[in-house]
Amino acid sequence: MMTIRWKHVLALIVILPIAGLLIGWSGLIGIRASSGHWAVTDWFLHWVMRSSVSTAAITVQAPPLDNPALLPPAAGHFESGCATCHGSPAQARSTAVLGMLPPPPDLKGVIGSWTDEQLFEIVKHGVRYTGMPAWPVQTRDDEVWAMVAFLRRLPDMSSGQYTAMAGLATGRQVARMSAQAITCDSCHGEQRLGEDSLIPSLSGQSKTYLMNSLQAYVQGRRPSGIMQQAVSTIPEDQLREFAAHYASQPQPLHRSAADRSLVARGQELAEKGRAADTIPACLSCHEREGGNAAYPHLSGQKVPYLETQLRLFRGGVRGGSSYSHIMTEAAAHLGDEDITALAAYFAGRESVGP
Amino acid sequence: MTDDRLTGSECWPIRSRLFIGRITDRADARSFYRAGLMLAASLLCSCSGPQSALDPAGPEAEDVAILFFTMVVGGALIWCSVVGILFYASRKKHAYDAGQASRIILWCGVVFPTIVLGALLSYAVWLMPNIRPGFGEANARLRTIDVAGEQFWWRVRYQNAEGSAAFETANEVRVPVGERVLFKLTSPDVIHSFWIPVLGGKMDVIPGRENHLTLMAEKPGTYRGVCAEFCGPSHAFMAFTVVAMEPGAFEDWTKARASFDGARDAEGLALFLKHGCSACHAISGTEARGTIGPDLSGFGERGSVGVGALVNTQEDIARFIRNPSEIKPGARMPHFSMLPETDIQRIAAYLKGLQ
Repeated sequence: MMTIRWKHVLALIVILPIAGLLIGWSGLIGIRASSGHWAVTDWFLHWVMRSSVSTAAITVQAPPLDNPALLPPAAGHFESGCATCHGSPAQARSTAVLGMLPPPPDLKGVIGSWTDEQLFEIVKHGVRYTGMPAWPVQTRDDEVWAMVAFLRRLPDMSSGQYTAMAGLATGRQVARMSAQAITCDSCHGEQRLGEDSLIPSLSGQSKTYLMNSLQAYVQGRRPSGIMQQAVSTIPEDQLREFAAHYASQPQPLHRSAADRSLVARGQELAEKGRAADTIPACLSCHEREGGNAAYPHLSGQKVPYLETQLRLFRGGVRGGSSYSHIMTEAAAHLGDEDITALAAYFAGRESVGP
Repeated sequence: MTDDRLTGSECWPIRSRLFIGRITDRADARSFYRAGLMLAASLLCSCSGPQSALDPAGPEAEDVAILFFTMVVGGALIWCSVVGILFYASRKKHAYDAGQASRIILWCGVVFPTIVLGALLSYAVWLMPNIRPGFGEANARLRTIDVAGEQFWWRVRYQNAEGSAAFETANEVRVPVGERVLFKLTSPDVIHSFWIPVLGGKMDVIPGRENHLTLMAEKPGTYRGVCAEFCGPSHAFMAFTVVAMEPGAFEDWTKARASFDGARDAEGLALFLKHGCSACHAISGTEARGTIGPDLSGFGERGSVGVGALVNTQEDIARFIRNPSEIKPGARMPHFSMLPETDIQRIAAYLKGLQ
C-alpha cells in the first residue's frame, strides 16, 4: 500500500491548477445558455444567491415605505430600466428575454419571497453572473428605497394602475408593437406633480440650469440612478430641446403651507441667512433680479423635493453643475428644522425673479 | 575679493577635514568674521521694520523692548563675568581651602543670583501694569474696536461714541495716534492670538469669551499684525495691516468709511450681486449685506488679498476669486473658477476700485 508523502501532495497542488487551465483551454466547458443549467447547478446557484442576499441584508434597516410619493419616480424608472427584462403589469416578458440564463424572473411571483431589506440589497448591488445590474449610482439609497416601495406594490398592480403610475403615454395606435412611450412629462408633467411629490417641476426653470443639470446627469456629476438612466442615451441636441421646452413653460403655481410660523422661519432664513452658523441667505443667489441663470428657481417646487435636495446637498452627495459646490457649502450647516422651514417657505413662495 | 571667496567657501570642507579645529588660518579667519558680520547684520535687520517688537511704536512695546534689552545686556554681563572667573580659576596655581570655597559658593551661588533674580522679577512685576494697562473700569471710556479672529481672517468692527456699531472692516486695523484704544477680542471658531508687535504684547482670542487688550500708538505709520496661535492650515495667512494715523486723518477716515458708497461702479456691483457674492460679503451703500465673510467696503485700499497672501492688485484679486483655497489652504470661500473670465476680471476691477 502506498503511503501519501508530502511530495505527492506538492505534485497535486502544482498539477491541479494546470489541469484546470487545460480544461478551460480545451473548450470542453459549455457556456451555452440554450442548454440551461443542470437542476443541481441551478439549485446550488440560487441557494448561494439567497444566502448571500440574506446575509448582506442583516445590516440594512428599512425606512418607512408607505409614502405614496415614492411610487411615481420608481414606476417611471421601472418602465425605462427594469421592464425590458422583468416585464411589467402592462407588458409581458419577451421571448428573447426568456432565453437568458438565468431568465429574469416575473417579479409578481418572487417579490413576496424577499424582505424589504433583501430587495434593497438586490436592487442596489445587483446580482453577479446574472443579468441583474447594480443601481447606476451607489450614493442614492433614497432612490433604491423608492424602488423597493414600488416593488412591494407591484404584484397586486393592474395594467391600468401601472400605466397611470408610470405616466406612460396611452394614446391608442393601431397595431403598435413597441412598449408604451415614456417621456419627460411621464414624471415631470405639471399635472402629475402632487403636493407630496419628490419629482421637481421643470416648468419655467431657466434653460441654463436645465441644460447644466441634464449634462451633469449624463456626465455622472449629479448622481441619480433614475435620471442618469433616463437621459444618458439621449443626444445633446435633444437635451437642449428638452431644456428649451420646459424653460418656455409657465412657472408652477405655489400653494402656501398651512403652518405660518414655519413659513416665517423659512422666510427669515431665506432672506437673511444665519451668519452664526455660516448659512448664507438663499435669496442672495436664487431668484434674484438679474441673477445668474445657473442658480435655479425654487418657488413652487414641492416640499418633499426641496427637502430631499437640501439633505443631499448637506450630505455632500447632491453634485450637479460646476456651481453645485457653492450650494454644498451653503447647505452644510442646515439643521433638520431649517430644511423643513425652507422647503415650506419656497413651496409656497410667490414667484418672483428669473 | 574673488580669491577670498574661493578660499573661504570652496576650501573649507577640505580644511575642516584636515585641520579640525584649527581656524587660525588667516583666510579662514577672514571668512568667519565675514559670516559673523553678516549674521549680526541680518539679526539687526530684524530689529526694525513693521513687525518688530524691538522697533516700538507704542508705550507697551517700548517697555517690552527695554525689558528685553535690559535682560540681554544684564545676561551678557553675567555671562562675561562667569567666563572671566572660569578663565581665572583655570589659571590659578593654588587651590582654595574649604572655608574660602564655601564662602565663594555662598556669595556667588546663593546671594548674587537671589539679588539679581529678585531685582529682575521686581522690575518685570513693576512693568506689568504698563504692559497690560487699563484693566477694569478705566476701559469703559476708551474708544473700542471689536476684533474677531476667524479661520482665517480678522473681522474688525468700529463703534460710535455711543457704543453702537459704526461700521465693519476686515484684516486692517486703523488707530489714531496718541489715543489709547480698547480691543475686544472674540472668536467664533478656534483659539487665535492677536498680536501687533510694534504696539505691545499679544493676547489670546478664545471662543466663548471676550478678552480685552488696550494699546496706544505713538508713531504714525503702517505696521503688521499677526495671529500668534496656530489655528489651522492658513494660520500664516492671517497677517493684518495696522495703520496708525494722525487723529484728524483718523476722524476723516472713520467718517468716510461710515458713509462709504460701494455703488459708484454700477456695472461691477451688478456682476458682484449677480453671482451671489453678497451671500457672504457686505459692501456699504449697496444691498450686499452678507456677514459670513469679510466686509469688502474699502477693499481696494487694503494692504493685501487673502489676508497677507497676495498683493492687492486686480490680477491678485481675480486669482483669489478663481481659487481661494489654492492660495490659502482651508479658506472657507468656494472657488469661482466656473464664472466667465470676463466676469471675474470685472468683479476684480470693481473690488480694486472700492477705495
